[in-house]
Parts: sequence; structure tokens; C-alpha cells
Amino acid sequence: MTDVHVVGVGMTRFGKHPDSDAADLGAEALHGAVADAGIDPRLIEAAYCGHVFQGMVTGQRILAQVGLAGLPLANVENACSSGATAIREASLAIRAGENDVVIAIGTEHLTSKFSGALTPDPSDPEAAVGATMPGVYAMRARRYMEEFGMTREQLALIPVKNKRNAAQNPLAHFRKEITVEDVLASRPIADPLRLHDCSPVTDGAAAVIVMSDKAAKKYANGRGIRLAASTLRTGSVDVEPTSMTYEPLTWKTAKEAYEKAGIGPEDVDFAEVHDCFSIAEVLRVEGLGLFEQGQYPWAVERGEADINGRLPINPSGGLIGKGHPLGGTGVAQVVELVRQLRGEAGSRQIEGARIGVAHCRGGKAVGIEGAACTVQILVR
Amino acid sequence: MPWRIAEGGTLTVPAPGISFRPGELETHPDGTGNLLGSRCRACGAHFFPIREACAGCLSDDLETVRFSTRGVLYTFSIVRQSVPAFEVPYALGYVDFPEKVRIMGQISGCDFDDIKIGMDMELVLEPFGTDDEGNELTGYRFRPVEADND
Repeated sequence: MTDVHVVGVGMTRFGKHPDSDAADLGAEALHGAVADAGIDPRLIEAAYCGHVFQGMVTGQRILAQVGLAGLPLANVENACSSGATAIREASLAIRAGENDVVIAIGTEHLTSKFSGALTPDPSDPEAAVGATMPGVYAMRARRYMEEFGMTREQLALIPVKNKRNAAQNPLAHFRKEITVEDVLASRPIADPLRLHDCSPVTDGAAAVIVMSDKAAKKYANGRGIRLAASTLRTGSVDVEPTSMTYEPLTWKTAKEAYEKAGIGPEDVDFAEVHDCFSIAEVLRVEGLGLFEQGQYPWAVERGEADINGRLPINPSGGLIGKGHPLGGTGVAQVVELVRQLRGEAGSRQIEGARIGVAHCRGGKAVGIEGAACTVQILVR
Repeated sequence: MPWRIAEGGTLTVPAPGISFRPGELETHPDGTGNLLGSRCRACGAHFFPIREACAGCLSDDLETVRFSTRGVLYTFSIVRQSVPAFEVPYALGYVDFPEKVRIMGQISGCDFDDIKIGMDMELVLEPFGTDDEGNELTGYRFRPVEADND
């Protein structure tokens, strides 16, 4: 079976784009990925497009805009894991031997669809009693503080770190560093979380081109980064209440990816994880097995997760700093992994990075731990 | 004044009206109510909301049951930004019930500052918005049991 190689990456600036829509942004990301790969766009054989609130056939609108209509394409919705799921679908098409060159696009024009706190689908019993995503993560933060003694100030170090990284990322939504005091003085959203603990409402898109061994050899000139694993799981229904400070879903998804890639969490050099809220970064990295349960806030305090630390987390700025255009997020994480692994990350470059992990987790439905979780492992 | 769940005592409040979600909250003419879910007859696991099959043993021999009206607060938050249907701020929490189900609900009947993880909570029925025709709906909230003794 062929390996899968990420050969071209592109993304728009993340932020507010009042003069474009999801198709414009997706087309810009696609052009970026094609230019980065340095290939004739007619080599692309199939496409997958992840988005959440952009309506029917957004992917087709992108292809039509750039003259590539006619390709096989599937639109993918898996909440905040939509873009990552599109990459997984693209990689499966390569592994299955069906295609040699496939593009995965993730796009979202979120500012035109939505403002304020994201909620589960209105039909959900928890949405019916007032569940919001910040509210749910706030409850997890409160429980984590109770169980492990994390302080509010420690939690604030995560947005401080991620916005410091974002300030080094020219495509990030936020380019301004903040302090712990700024976090604690920002508007309360759902106690104990405040505005700076939350990822913003962002427009943006990203695209990656994946290739088989054969195509990568022919077109990539050794620039391809191997996608060693791309795994997806959905949350199980709890048979009894389980801890909300640990993520078995993240671990199961990661374990399968580590096995496929033939590595363990100790081999990972850096990670882009789904920090939709500050507390989420804690839960993700512990769920991924990258840090011990109940320890991450202290590791952050010691600088271990900084770009020059032992195990950098979210060097791009993460969702909190770079922004969170839902469908675009999972693809943008892989864009960052590729740029880091190629040594093209500029002032936020991690020295000597060889293995990177991207983790997405999205959606909420009553009685299940999480709706969709993805883990991708890229190896230089 | 919220409707209270009577526990073998005298009813002090009017009978609640239409349940905001009849599949999940049963309202009784005497002013009491229960959250509804499924119990697996094969392995005994309970689920909220009602399911068609057991996630533990995959049996489809499930019965609909009324859950206990008292449980323990697992965690909570004060929500200060929400969708227009909900007036902020409000307290939101997860309560663990003896049947081993964890159910989310708003918290009422106490100051935000008095809410603590591990508190004993009880189900109360309260007005909960209106339906499309403007009829008053009855929903549920959780309130600290301690509030009884004030």
C-alpha cells in the first residue's frame, strides 16, 4: 500500500473577511496549495471540502470558481473536525489506490453565519436547557481546578502563550501579545472562562494536496511530508458518568494513530491541538498522552510548551491565537505542521522538528463524550 | 415562585402545564415531574435521554423509566453569554443521579456564590418559555436541597 505525502499547502489570512465568502476563501487556499506544490492544477483527481455552516455544495462552488469543476468531490461536515475529516478522506482515497493526487480544503465564513457563543444543535436536549460550548468547557475547567488544584492564573498562561505564538504568525487572526492580567480583566463568558480564554469567530480557509508515493516521486522533488496516520473516531455513549477532566476519545483516536505511525507519544516533537478554549488545550495534550494527567498547567508554567520548550504546543497560535474558522481549522493545523517540518515557519520555527501531531475534536451531543475526533501524524 | 416536587407531602403549587420536551420531562397533574430515560433490561444500564439500544451490551430490550429527583452536582458554570432564547446570566450544571446518569440543567433557588461542586440537588419544575402558539411551557431546573431548610 502506498504512503500518503502532503506536497502542497495553502491558507488564507485568518480573521474577518467582510468582502469574501466561503468559496472565495476556499479558492484562495486552493490556489496557494497548488502554487506551493508547483504542479499543474489539472493533475488534481479528486477533492474533499470540509465546512460546517456554509450550506450546500460549498466545495463545488470553490471548484467552479477556479475552473476545476467536474472533479469528484464530497463535502464533509463533522463539526470542528470537518477539515481534518476531509484530509482523512483524501488520504484514504490515496491509500485505496483510487487516486494519486487529491486536494482537501477546509473553509468557513463564520462572521456572516454566527456571532457569540456556539451551541449544540437546537434539537439537542442540552441545547434546550441552555448549553453553550463555552459553558460546557467552563464546567470542565471548574472540575479540573477542583480535582487538580489548577489556579485561574495558571489557566491564563495558555492564551498568553498561544497569542504570543500568533504574534509571530503573519496569517493569524490576532497579532498582539497579551498578559495574564489582560486575560483576567477580559469579559466573563462562562465562569471561570473569560473572553481571552475563547477562540474567536474567524473567517478563513486552508488547503492541502496529498499524493501517493508514485505521484510524490514524480512531482514533489522530495518536498513531501509523510502523513503517517490520519485517524477518526466518534464519541461513545456513556454507560455511566465518566470524568470530564480526561478524554478517552482523544486517547483512543491518538493510540490508533500512534500505532499506525509506529511511534509513541514520547516521540512527538510538537503538536497543534484543538484549543477552542484554554482548558481544552489542557484536556487535549493530556488525552494525547503528551503530558501526564493533571500536570499540564505546571508544565506550561515551566515553559515546556513554548516554541523553544521541551514539547511546543500550538506554535501557530492555535485556535485561540490563529483563529477558529470551523471547517478551516483542521486543515490549517496540517499546514502549520508541514511548514514547521519543512523549516519554513520563520520566527516561530521549532528547531529540529521531525514528528508533528495535529488533533481536532468537535461537536457536542447529549450523552456522548465528543462528536468527532481526529489525529494526524506527520513525519519528516 | 417555582413549582416544587412534592415528596409524599402536600402540594403547595399549581399543577404544571405542558412539558417543554415531553420525551425527556414528564409533568404530573399533582405538580411533580420526572426526567425520563431508558433502562436496559439485559444489563441494568441507564441512559438519558431515551435510547433505542444499550450502548453497553447492545440489547434493544429497553424500558422507559423515571429517574430519581435527587442527585449530586458534578460541576457548574455561570453562563454570561448565550443565545437569545436564554436570558443571561444563568447557572448551568451537571447532576449525577443514583441511576448513574449525568444530566445537564440550569440551577435555581440559590445565589451563584453559594453553588458548590458536590452539593445535593433536587429537580424542580419551573416555567420554561412558550411554544410557537404562545402556550406557557414547563421545564426543569436543579436546586440545592439545602434551600429546603431555610
